[in-house]
Amino acid sequence: MPGLGARLGRGGATTTQQSLADSDCIVIMGSNMAENHPVGFRFVLKAKTKGATIIHIDPRFSRTSALADIHVPLRPGTDLAVLGGIINYVLASERWNSDPFFREYAIHYTNAPLLVSEEFKDTEELEGLFSGYDPEQRRYRNESWQLERPVAPGAEPPMDLTLQHPRCVFQVVKRHFARYTPELVEQVSGVPRDLLVTVAETLLQNSGRERTSAFCYAVAWTQHTIGTQIISCCALLQLLLGNIGRPGGGILALRGHSSIQGSTDIPTLYNLLPGYLPMPSTQARHRSLHEYLAAEQSPAGMWFHLPQFLVSLLKAWYGDAATPENDFAFELLPKISGDYSFEAMIPLMADGVMKGLVCLGQNPAVGGQNAVLVRKALANLDWLVVRDAYEIETAAFWYDSPEVRRGELRPEQIKTEVFFLPAALPGEKEGSFTNTQRLIQWHDKAVDPPGDCRSEPWFLYHLGKRLKELYQDDDTIKGRQIRALTWDYPTKGPCDEPDLEAVLKEINGFTLSDGKPVSSFRELNADGSTACGCWIYSGIMPEEGHNRARNRKGDDKASLEWGFSWPNNVRILYNRASADPQGRPWSERKRWIWWDPAQRRWTGYDTPDFPVDKPPDYQPPADARGLDAHAGDKPFVMLPDGRGRLFVPTGLLDGPLPTHYEPWESPVGNLLYPKTSRSPVAPTFERPDNPYHEIGDPRFPYVITTYRLTEHHTAGGMSRTVPWLAELQPEGFIEISPELATELGIANGDWVVVSTLRGEVEARALVTDRIQPLVIHGRRVHQVGMPWHFGYKGYAQGEIANDLSALIEDPNSRIHEAKSFTCNLRRGRLVQERGRQW
Amino acid sequence: MVSASVSSGDPSVGTTGARPGALGFLTDTTLCIGCKACEVACKQWNQLPMDDFGFTGYSYDNTGDLGATTWRHVAFIERVSDREGRRPTRLKAFQSNWLMMSDVCKHCVYAGCLEACPTGAIVRTEFDTVVIQQDICNGCGYCVPACPFGVPALSLTDGKAHKCTLCYDRLKDGLEPACAKACPTDSIQFGPVEQLMERAKRRVADLRQQGVTEAYIYGDRAVGGTGGIEGLNAFFILTAPPEVYNLPARPELPQRKVLPAFLSTALAALGLGLAALFSLWRR
Amino acid sequence: MGMRYERRWETRREAGRSAAEQARESYYGVPVVHKPHWKWSIVLYFFLGGISGASYVIATLARLAGGPQLHSVTRAGRYLSFLTVIPAPLLLIYDLGRPERFHHMLRVLKLRSPMSLGAWGLVAFSLFSGLSALIQAGQDGLLGRWSQQRLRALPDRLIGLLGSGPAFFLSGYTGVLLAATAVPLWTKNFLLLGPLFLASSLSNATSALLLLLTLARQVSAEISDRLEGLERLALLVELALLLGLRANSGPVIRRPLDEGSTGAVFRGVLGAGVLAPLLLQTLARGHHGWGAQALRVLAAVLVLVGGFLVRCVLLFAGHRSADDPQATFELTRGR
Repeated sequence: MPGLGARLGRGGATTTQQSLADSDCIVIMGSNMAENHPVGFRFVLKAKTKGATIIHIDPRFSRTSALADIHVPLRPGTDLAVLGGIINYVLASERWNSDPFFREYAIHYTNAPLLVSEEFKDTEELEGLFSGYDPEQRRYRNESWQLERPVAPGAEPPMDLTLQHPRCVFQVVKRHFARYTPELVEQVSGVPRDLLVTVAETLLQNSGRERTSAFCYAVAWTQHTIGTQIISCCALLQLLLGNIGRPGGGILALRGHSSIQGSTDIPTLYNLLPGYLPMPSTQARHRSLHEYLAAEQSPAGMWFHLPQFLVSLLKAWYGDAATPENDFAFELLPKISGDYSFEAMIPLMADGVMKGLVCLGQNPAVGGQNAVLVRKALANLDWLVVRDAYEIETAAFWYDSPEVRRGELRPEQIKTEVFFLPAALPGEKEGSFTNTQRLIQWHDKAVDPPGDCRSEPWFLYHLGKRLKELYQDDDTIKGRQIRALTWDYPTKGPCDEPDLEAVLKEINGFTLSDGKPVSSFRELNADGSTACGCWIYSGIMPEEGHNRARNRKGDDKASLEWGFSWPNNVRILYNRASADPQGRPWSERKRWIWWDPAQRRWTGYDTPDFPVDKPPDYQPPADARGLDAHAGDKPFVMLPDGRGRLFVPTGLLDGPLPTHYEPWESPVGNLLYPKTSRSPVAPTFERPDNPYHEIGDPRFPYVITTYRLTEHHTAGGMSRTVPWLAELQPEGFIEISPELATELGIANGDWVVVSTLRGEVEARALVTDRIQPLVIHGRRVHQVGMPWHFGYKGYAQGEIANDLSALIEDPNSRIHEAKSFTCNLRRGRLVQERGRQW
Repeated sequence: MVSASVSSGDPSVGTTGARPGALGFLTDTTLCIGCKACEVACKQWNQLPMDDFGFTGYSYDNTGDLGATTWRHVAFIERVSDREGRRPTRLKAFQSNWLMMSDVCKHCVYAGCLEACPTGAIVRTEFDTVVIQQDICNGCGYCVPACPFGVPALSLTDGKAHKCTLCYDRLKDGLEPACAKACPTDSIQFGPVEQLMERAKRRVADLRQQGVTEAYIYGDRAVGGTGGIEGLNAFFILTAPPEVYNLPARPELPQRKVLPAFLSTALAALGLGLAALFSLWRR
Repeated sequence: MGMRYERRWETRREAGRSAAEQARESYYGVPVVHKPHWKWSIVLYFFLGGISGASYVIATLARLAGGPQLHSVTRAGRYLSFLTVIPAPLLLIYDLGRPERFHHMLRVLKLRSPMSLGAWGLVAFSLFSGLSALIQAGQDGLLGRWSQQRLRALPDRLIGLLGSGPAFFLSGYTGVLLAATAVPLWTKNFLLLGPLFLASSLSNATSALLLLLTLARQVSAEISDRLEGLERLALLVELALLLGLRANSGPVIRRPLDEGSTGAVFRGVLGAGVLAPLLLQTLARGHHGWGAQALRVLAAVLVLVGGFLVRCVLLFAGHRSADDPQATFELTRGR
């Protein structure tokens, strides 16, 4: 998410799954799309039927590869090297330099021509580090990463439209990636050099005015210590290829859960407020509303309207308790003071600092990194609440777990008080899903949940009501925080379910005086006259009772009448870029939105992600603010200057440019920058119960990656418990190449033990040549892969793959590195007597 | 393993003996992503119990075979590397190198199970599909070895024979079968067999043009629907010889053997009878 | 149906051998067709039903053309036929998945279904067998005077003649039943199975009658000679058919007859069930003393055991044949 947000402005897929059908080339990388997004994959096949080229870049030959035209095997964790290699090739290529389209797109729509500050030093000059690194704190200061003159409205920043100036962003990028030659990339990633060239050429041939290419990625990009940069690198490449904002182009972030996009839009993330507003933090200048706005509002671009969005949010949450006099209750808004990510919680729980945990549809005993430590941490809590439809491992750990079976822990020793509350399943409750392409679709309740099962909204709403009662006489700040919340949704039905369409109306926003919904975020005010739960969803309920998420009219273009897509029902983000700087489609074939000079407005197949009446030749006056400060040819409305960022001065903690570093655990050092093997700013958890392997540790010579299967879902709570799914993949297994199997004497179906410093697990071996050894730095490196769905409850059982992984994060997203670490392997079973053998 | 070559000069290619109005499946394996939604949708609609054979090591196939409680079964055959262990990077269009195929009852135009059934439990419906009436079947089990494709099986729990019904109950209400509805890539296509066969022929021609020269129809009169079976109402597009998918290339309707076998037995009876007479004759 | 079948060498344990290699020769050794569930009750049905039909025919032919010396053959034959037909439907009903629905077999008559024909044929034959046994019982004075008179009035020779059709049908149709399936071993030999069952039934019935009559001390040299002549012929035909079956199957399909326990029993049947009795009979030919009688009894016993075992072998070898993908591919490869 920060990967796309930093370069393009919004942390979300820029295109739709349906738009893939218009692609001429689809690169699926860091994703196993056919297996994990099977329904979306139908659009890849539609593209294929129309003649597109499908490229799958993945360490394993999976069900996606079987349907692809080209399979490119690579070592897990080297995606950035490969992307860098493509960028390097593209920039030097004949096509990129001769077809004027690419330069035109780069010059107008990206910050390629802008000049970078003289103080900036690239990794090329500092052997793998950027300027501004503080080795003691292990963080960067980004002052030297700024442009020569920061973007400000009214002042044209220094730029070179010929892209020759040595300090222009374009040249800085070019120098940065010059090292990523096909030969070096082959050494690092195992991708044969001519195959890399083929991929780059295919992308080049399928980009331009007449043709577009799309990238699809998923957590095999996200879940690395450089995950954000990998994704961001793709954004860089797609900007250079001119594919962003165009039909059949863009970047499709394939998010996994049915509503995970929704859970970052109206976030369960600790560091965001709804609509991607920054979370107030004690580590920033956020001591008052005024300070917060001063720090976070930008004079140009969409974030100029931050006050409208934030104040409306505060009015929604605090209602009458939020007044202009009291800064709209900004004081009551909780502030963060550090890393509250899930990984950070685990050591706090293990050390007894964190006393309680509420798990809503989450199974960290299986799904958490270093699951051994997670279960130890759970055993140290005072209390734990688990709400789920099944008694998952996290709810059962106190009487059944590998530790209990091994005799390491006895239930009597575990002092955690565990509450297990039964939850309703999707058919048993109404609500909405926001899927991977920002599409919100409403669903109705089909049946009543059985017995005591209740929906999440019921639980949270009634919990809130009880908390409000509990604190009704409490005048401390904590009590006031709870009392001040508006909490008055109407309820319905025999169980008093909150009426979710009332919640949706609040999310959409309404004017307080008459309760009428707003029809777009442009109607939100900063004076407290509007309330809005999430500004990017505004427009989903433009009139009372009109829930656009219920729409179900599809067509063969953008299907604007099917559901509601944020923002404002835009389907392809940044679609101003689908027209040239003069507002005409780049070609008939790739027509999407365009300027209608007669009507003097933008029109087309999609809602314009652009002020609808701003002409293409508009030049902003010096005192313009907000979107008025952007010229008529600047598609990236969320960014300060409307230009997509090839170079990112602020927003990423590990560098303004993507750089390959090795995964934290790797059999080899960084061939690109031998002095800087790993990410210099990746948050680590150095503690005895979270030991890391050294680079090249001979005890753990094999690269291991973890992944998902179609048949199961994440930590298995909803799939291992369903007989029809359980029988499809009934046991945990590990995929091993025949070469490695021969070396270790393993036959197909044998039991093997996989080990890391964190733990050991046993699994059945699936010997398959879909896994191959790669030649890295001139020697053969073996890789293995394990699905991580399995646990000890349910019909389909297996040992927990995450017992092997470690707590280690990406600095920007705080996402764990699950996709690439090291392990050892041997034939056999675990020696200890387990309570039940699989 | 011998490959069944498809002779392009064979006039029975692409033809079927399906009766007018016959409904069936075209399972185009070149679009199959092996997701098994068909298996699950079938089990859910028909409320079939899990079989749970456990981890088999048969690639991603832990189901193994069609049976009394599995009426759609996705087969997986890995053909990724060559004999020297080299993995390909340029792949043929659509599904290649890892073959995935959703197997199902073929609903033969002339069905071995139907002919074999002594109780009349197995009937041909108005949609030209083959259905086992569960209120009549007495579990004699004769349909089981009578099927050239190994489809029906006896249930250990209720003693009767079961197989895919082509969602007869859904067809009666004008709905498509559950597996076809669930298939995300339209690999499983449902409709009038005549139309599906035309579509299949076009698709095979397209595929061959794109370099998938091994594509062919399994379930016409030339391959799969041979030997008196006269075509399969649930037929396939495959890209490897039928044996690779565990299918017989040129099966025969077993009941074609009935008359000649009885004649030969009658002849033997005559001969042995006369011999017996001769032996026992009073001298 | 479970995954309980031999998977030969496709899934043998070998380090480095991948899932792909296990699918090279066949689909991981998974059978192409499904084997029938039939086991001991069906083997017994084949055996007893075969004897029932053949002994009926022998009894009838003895009655028609054998003269007074063969009266005991007729008597024994009719009673044996009836006694062995009684368990037949019971065995079949027991084998059904839903025994309480056995009468569904008589809902329809399907000429292309050997099982349908067999169900009706069994019904028809049972009536004849019962009637003939009843007539015999009447003639033997086992029943009351009134029934005796009625029964003696019936045209028993005509009834016997009419019943011989269904009788031989019962003995031979089971071969057609097996042949009209997809089991490679059976269907490849579709012309041979019916005659084989018929010949085997004949030799079994003859041996059974010889045995019974010897034990009841009702055997004479005449009876012995004539029945043995028939037995010899039947055995020779059986031998030829068994060898022919093996040859006709070809190297792949005949594997269950060559290998494993079914192979061993097959060889046992040929040796001890066919050749040995022939030898013993030849040795005892013309002699009628104690020793010769003992040899004849032994030969009869061997024939009966062999007759039971040959049906066992054919059934269980059929199971293995159905379980062998290579056999199905061999059969269905086409040109």
